[in-house]
Amino acid sequence: MYQWTWSQIPQYFPLFLAAAGRTLLISGWSILGGTALGVVVGLLRVMPSRAARTVAGIYVETMRNVPLMLILYMVYFGLGYIVQLPPLWAGVVSLSVFEAAYVAEILRAGLESIEKGQGEAAQALGMTWTQTMRHILLPQTFRRILPPLTGQFVSLIKDSSLASLVSYQELMLVGRQVNSAIFRPFEVFLTIGLLYFILCFGLSLYSRHLEKGLMRRDQR
Amino acid sequence: MISVEGVSKTFPGGVRALKGVTLSVGLQEVVCLVGPSGSGKSTLLRCVNALERVDEGVITVDGIRLDHDAKNLHQVRSEVGMVFQSFNLFPHLTALGNLSLPQKVVRRRSASEAEEVGRALLKRVGLADKENAYPAELSGGQKQRVAIARALAMNPRIMLFDEPTSALDPEMIKEVLEVMRDLAREGMTMMVATHEMGFAREVARRVAFMDQGEVLEVAPPEQFFGRPSSPRAQAFLERLL
Repeated sequence: MYQWTWSQIPQYFPLFLAAAGRTLLISGWSILGGTALGVVVGLLRVMPSRAARTVAGIYVETMRNVPLMLILYMVYFGLGYIVQLPPLWAGVVSLSVFEAAYVAEILRAGLESIEKGQGEAAQALGMTWTQTMRHILLPQTFRRILPPLTGQFVSLIKDSSLASLVSYQELMLVGRQVNSAIFRPFEVFLTIGLLYFILCFGLSLYSRHLEKGLMRRDQR
Repeated sequence: MISVEGVSKTFPGGVRALKGVTLSVGLQEVVCLVGPSGSGKSTLLRCVNALERVDEGVITVDGIRLDHDAKNLHQVRSEVGMVFQSFNLFPHLTALGNLSLPQKVVRRRSASEAEEVGRALLKRVGLADKENAYPAELSGGQKQRVAIARALAMNPRIMLFDEPTSALDPEMIKEVLEVMRDLAREGMTMMVATHEMGFAREVARRVAFMDQGEVLEVAPPEQFFGRPSSPRAQAFLERLL
């Protein structure tokens, strides 16, 4: 039978917290990078130019149909022949290019969900494609896609555990290391799990708060 | 001001929405397009400000030929105001925001100038007290009046109306028609697709009857409503009365 022994856990709290901080760091940068790239790809996906749409489509399908781990290995080991990125940045680059595909799809779906008349009204007023996007379609879309986007970011936080494979000292790797020192898998991984939960659920709560604020402002 | 010559348009899927339509609208003239649903009235209006491309024929607006060179398209569209059946107000902006944003973006007016123009126009359509209301807080008739004001804020030389009252409850139709009547009286060049025969009879200088993608008859209202020459127009008017 398993013997629960929690007494050995508290001494590792500083280590766990530092690791949670690094998980937050890699996730934060990846959310920024993934969103920036995802918006670009998503806009290419709906541009009038067919070439742009095709290129963006190929990008999205490629990223969605290969494992994140493979991208991470390509960036860390493959790209390593040209420029050796430190584990943090290898993780940020991999997560960003991977998540960008999903962000792009969420954005495209969001843009397509806006009534056609919105774009037509903007065009009829003489706005260019860029002006229509910037002033009319994107502001409405961002409100609408906040919930699915949050879900994507939550899964990004969890995906960042893969960075342990290139020896980035985030939560998962530190958990594994502590466990190999004290052999208390349930206690260690439950603690780690709680920290993941706090990060992810905290993000969801924050986004819900943001959403409510936007709705109040819009009164829609 | 508007000249449409031999314009044909087929939608993907094979629906022939316009078949060799020829029609002109003179300066300060009001032309009403009437006819059954699906007769091509909306498509014709949408072609005039290039929301749809034409397959054949030539449209000239205020001396500019629409040839899908992107630069003159934006120029034409900013000279031509369009009012839609479904209003298409921007829901994330207040009434005043709906009026001022396009002016700032397209006409490069300063915020204060755009708002000044916007307030004056809201007042003109009787909605001075609604400048901070969001579209969701307005009735259908109020929305459509804001939409008309939004188009006017760009100082268009021509206004196109695509069944502006068809989505409205009967009691709100009047307030919108009133605004349009004033506009016609002030000499705006207008092309109006409508089912409001009373409006067409009173305001139009000429009525164009469309059916199945063709303009079958163009006549002054008293002549059109009194003794329509085409059998299909006769049948259409009989069904209405």
